[in-house]
Amino acid sequence: MIRYALLSLALLVGGCRDPIPEIAADISGHPLPSPVPRPDFVLTDMRGGSYHFGDRTRGRLTLLFFGYTHCPDVCPATMENLGAVMNRMPAVERAKLDVVFVTTDPERDTPERLQQWLGRFEGEVVGLTGTIAEVEAAQRAARVGVAIRDTASGNYAVSHAAQVLVFSPDDSSHVAYPFGTRQASWAADIPKLLERWTGS
Amino acid sequence: MTWWCSATGLPWSWSWQAYPGVWLFIALLGFSYWRFGRAPEDTQATRYFLSGLLVLWIALDWPLGTLGTYLASAHTGQFILITLGAPALLLLGLKPRLAALASADTFGARTLRFLARPAPAFVGYTVLMLGTHLPDIVDPFMATQWGTFLIDMLWLLAGLFLWWPVTAPEGFRRLAPPAAMGYLFVQTIPGTAPAAFLVFSQYPLYRLYELAPRVTEVLTPRYDHQVAGLLMKIVGDPVVWIGISVIFFRWANAERQADRTRTRTESAASRPG
Repeated sequence: MIRYALLSLALLVGGCRDPIPEIAADISGHPLPSPVPRPDFVLTDMRGGSYHFGDRTRGRLTLLFFGYTHCPDVCPATMENLGAVMNRMPAVERAKLDVVFVTTDPERDTPERLQQWLGRFEGEVVGLTGTIAEVEAAQRAARVGVAIRDTASGNYAVSHAAQVLVFSPDDSSHVAYPFGTRQASWAADIPKLLERWTGS
Repeated sequence: MTWWCSATGLPWSWSWQAYPGVWLFIALLGFSYWRFGRAPEDTQATRYFLSGLLVLWIALDWPLGTLGTYLASAHTGQFILITLGAPALLLLGLKPRLAALASADTFGARTLRFLARPAPAFVGYTVLMLGTHLPDIVDPFMATQWGTFLIDMLWLLAGLFLWWPVTAPEGFRRLAPPAAMGYLFVQTIPGTAPAAFLVFSQYPLYRLYELAPRVTEVLTPRYDHQVAGLLMKIVGDPVVWIGISVIFFRWANAERQADRTRTRTESAASRPG
């Protein structure tokens, strides 16, 4: 009788847990409650040309991060860690991956500034900027909170989403990686992310 | 008010920060020494102790103490000063006072005699040194002031374990100079393990330093870890070698002195009288 009661309790507790898709259980990214479609926005790349995010990254594993180059903590750490991992990836895997950095501070982050700043890190990263309206629209399209710029002082800070969004080859995002994801975790997860949600 | 340096996650700044806990700790050590540990007739010992206190203060206070929560290499710099540098000087400063306890049959004196043996000292130092370098200890402990304080105190204790068998006064010490030199050399071996992990691991070992706000563009987390590992061997080991050299030259001097005395005695005895 006690055994049945414990079994029922275990089933009840198990049933109450957040449903973690089995496909995402062995990766350190946080599974999203429902897939987010790959956003469609057009911004300016580091050479001053237009970059259609939806078209250019369609069907590819894409890591999308919103930040700004004057960021003192989260952005450099995130880009540095992603770059370090990209640099150690086998070329075959690396060729299947896009990393895109969209500024949340377009007034200061010109294409030249983005090129200079992203050039500090290892790996190839696409840096995008635009008008304030354009980058805000991009954030809404990616379903992240729109950054808040407190421009009262000259060296102002921007509050922005700190997670890295992962868009899979099936053109949806199933997981997001919060700030604090380590290089070793990225290195372990990227091959898995390349294999899953392939859209086939 | 932060009383002891700990990781805050705030962007690095070169603006000075006050750590009253560090000042209080240094003042307390200084006062205790002046009141209970000092031998007024031995000014050299006092100089040693004050030098040790200065080294400790440099390691714990701004800027090195603060940098030690942002950079693994600065953290290793602190380790070298707190564990390998300061304790030797502090113990040399206490030597005259401790000498008076050598013949006592108290619990404290018996413990000090036991710890002057190489085996317990080796185990004590190695366990503390390796334990305080484990990522599972460093990452959570360095995030709080009490945790950082505890690591600093354990490092100091590890250094006391390391140096006690070779700095203890007669009556406590059991090692002859050649054995003391061998003992110190052996003590440099365990540090090779964390140093090797820091230098050769593919990705940064410590979460704290991997995700800390950057101090400089030049020092990426991986380079920072590699510099930390190299510092441990290239700077840390030579600090211990200084100890080995001091023992060697003192031993050589003592032998030369003994030879001279023996020759003088022999020639006096053989002189026709």
